[in-house]
Amino acid sequence: MFNLKEVIISITNRCNSRCKMCDIPIEKTEELDTPSWKHIIRDLPSCGAKTLVFSGGEPLLREDLFELLSFAKSVGLNTCITSNGIMIDDSVASKLLQTGINVVNVSVEGPEEVHDLLRGAGNFKKTVLALAALGKHKIETTIATTVSRYTYKNLNSVVELAKEYNVTTVKFQPFSSLFVDDKKRIKEFTISENNLQEMETIIKDVILLSARYGIAVNPEKYLLNIPYYLSGKSTGSNNVCGALLSSCPINSKGEIFPCWVLSGRDNLIGSLKGNSFLSLWGGRRHISIIEKIERKGCPSCMMSCYDGNFGQAGIKHRVIRGLSKLKNRGFRGYLAQLLRKLQKRFKFYFAYRGSLAALTRKFKGIFRRKAISMTKIQEQGTEGVFTEIEIAEQMLKDELKR
Amino acid sequence: MDRLENNLLGEFETNINFYFSEVLNYPFAKPYWIYLSLSHECTYRCKMCGVVKILKGYELPTEAVEKTLNTIDSWKQDCVVLFTGGEVFLRKDIFHLFDYSVAKGLKVEVVSNGALIDKELAFKIISSGLQNIAISLDGEKEDTHDRIREKGAFKKAIGAITNLVQAKKEILKGPQISVWTTIMKENISELFDIIALVNSLGVECLVYHPVIVAQDDMQNTQADAPFWIKGNDLEILRNQIEKIVDYQTKHGLVAFLHDPYLWLKYFNGQLCRKDWKCNPFVFLNIGPDGETRSCGASFGNIKDMDLDKCLVTAEALKARSLMRLCQKPCLQTCWGRPESDSLTKITENFIAKVRNNKNKNKLVKEALSLLNNYANKLKEHV
Repeated sequence: MFNLKEVIISITNRCNSRCKMCDIPIEKTEELDTPSWKHIIRDLPSCGAKTLVFSGGEPLLREDLFELLSFAKSVGLNTCITSNGIMIDDSVASKLLQTGINVVNVSVEGPEEVHDLLRGAGNFKKTVLALAALGKHKIETTIATTVSRYTYKNLNSVVELAKEYNVTTVKFQPFSSLFVDDKKRIKEFTISENNLQEMETIIKDVILLSARYGIAVNPEKYLLNIPYYLSGKSTGSNNVCGALLSSCPINSKGEIFPCWVLSGRDNLIGSLKGNSFLSLWGGRRHISIIEKIERKGCPSCMMSCYDGNFGQAGIKHRVIRGLSKLKNRGFRGYLAQLLRKLQKRFKFYFAYRGSLAALTRKFKGIFRRKAISMTKIQEQGTEGVFTEIEIAEQMLKDELKR
Repeated sequence: MDRLENNLLGEFETNINFYFSEVLNYPFAKPYWIYLSLSHECTYRCKMCGVVKILKGYELPTEAVEKTLNTIDSWKQDCVVLFTGGEVFLRKDIFHLFDYSVAKGLKVEVVSNGALIDKELAFKIISSGLQNIAISLDGEKEDTHDRIREKGAFKKAIGAITNLVQAKKEILKGPQISVWTTIMKENISELFDIIALVNSLGVECLVYHPVIVAQDDMQNTQADAPFWIKGNDLEILRNQIEKIVDYQTKHGLVAFLHDPYLWLKYFNGQLCRKDWKCNPFVFLNIGPDGETRSCGASFGNIKDMDLDKCLVTAEALKARSLMRLCQKPCLQTCWGRPESDSLTKITENFIAKVRNNKNKNKLVKEALSLLNNYANKLKEHV
């Protein structure tokens, strides 16, 4: 049932930025100490986790972050942090590199005036310096942008910035009321129906621009749904989210929830203070909560981490767009761009999602989903088995000669 | 070939089946231990047991158990069916199920808290063809056992053992009567003293196993877990182990299913795969809800599909893959099979056993042919 891929630890609620669209730092909460986090991280690979993301708050405010990143790497996890970039200078980037980090995800809201309006004066410059420092150390970098009334007009500038600093991926995510305590302020970030068409046009431009630059963005269907979501005309994905089974959010107190949106006390899977991850993930309580969500339906959201839900439905659209590109650019031009795009995608996949073997298994799985037979042996690794058989056979043959 | 030779070859075949199952994650071997948890219902609410809480309201229907026993019977391989619960003797059809499985020639064992075993029931149990009956006893002192289980539980358990021993003396045959003791903080200083108690009662076998914190929490090795032995108590445990090992060497009675000093590592959180590892194919638990699992996720439900099919589902494959990654073994002996860990070791043991046999060459050739079969099977598919 469970297919854990990614664990997201909100390692601290402390933050050095006071963003308009986020109230997280207002709530001060306790944090688990370093040994407790290590205890938890040690268990993650046993449950199938491939990637560990540290978010916050600002994760770099935790003094032990580098130690935890190195530790996570030592147990075989791919690591990623989500940061506002304010603290990332040359020395921090160098330290991050030393931990073997796979991806640093930096938040950028748009051009300087928009970014600073939302995240605080002077922060854009610091964030850009962070992108430069990460680029200098050749650390895989991605950008995250919150799409709202404030930012939607300048989304193209984010893609341009990504191109300038060799960023492989830009993840757009519509503003979420989840992070705002004062619900009266929600309207400040949403758009009216009058702006819907305009926003849709901008997003289509963003899709084209990112394709031209070979920068990966969210699935097209997801992006095209954002205007409708922000204007209240769509509620996001109505399907029960795949992230429930493949992603595990843990808050700074060590509490596990099925997802960030469903983080009410009634959905608390358990606390890792006094319980091991192995005992909670996939346990009875977890299963019963998932079953409850499946029964009652997912409240739906547009958190970008779950945008895979939109991926499959966009295939038809992708084929049509691919054909039109082929027509416009000719076969060689189209092929060259496709290869560039694939190269970037693969680079990102290797850095973030896992090994080539995992990727191969994913594709094999599409064609052989039901083939649970001896053929599965191929994927289990048979190194040394033939040698063991030969040794055993030789021992028996020697015994025959005695 | 005579029976002994057949057994030698059968043992070799079973061991290589388990070996290749573990290495290649495919069930060439059928489970050796099948725990049938018949019902969540229990007479007690023991502090360390989560069955009653987790599986409330579930009970395996008689037909489903019979169907499962038929499937197990169809396996060629040697295996043991252990009826457990909840408390199995709360099931009205329990003796029917004993008869049903014994009639098929299956090895059947049962574990009980002894609460319901009076003289009459003891006679029925002793005459029912079981291989083993285990009574749980968690302390040498009445107070300790009752604190963990329920007031009066100690007297009932002792009464049950006495009744069973008495019945066996009268009938002159019957199952092995054993006692299972869970090692935990609460009874740590009484572990050795339990030996004298069960010896005086006429028990034939004593098995210790370390506590699992809860049924849904098999591998909790955190220091603050309930019942967990930590700090200075570990020295007490070491002391108890030394005395138990000394007694066992001289007098037997205690059945060690692994090196008892591993308990120290287990409670210290230092037990790793190198010391003790599960073979995900050795053990299968069928819960009162019908879900089958070795450890972790369910393979499938016997109410929906045949047991044989449950063993080869995608879920089974995945759950076993995760078990193979487990770095924190829980020392539950049912899951280990050290004798099948290495093909070289299996072959060495086999050779040592057949070396002086008059049909040695024939047996070795048969073993070679079994290995050849595996090699060919692998070459064909890999």
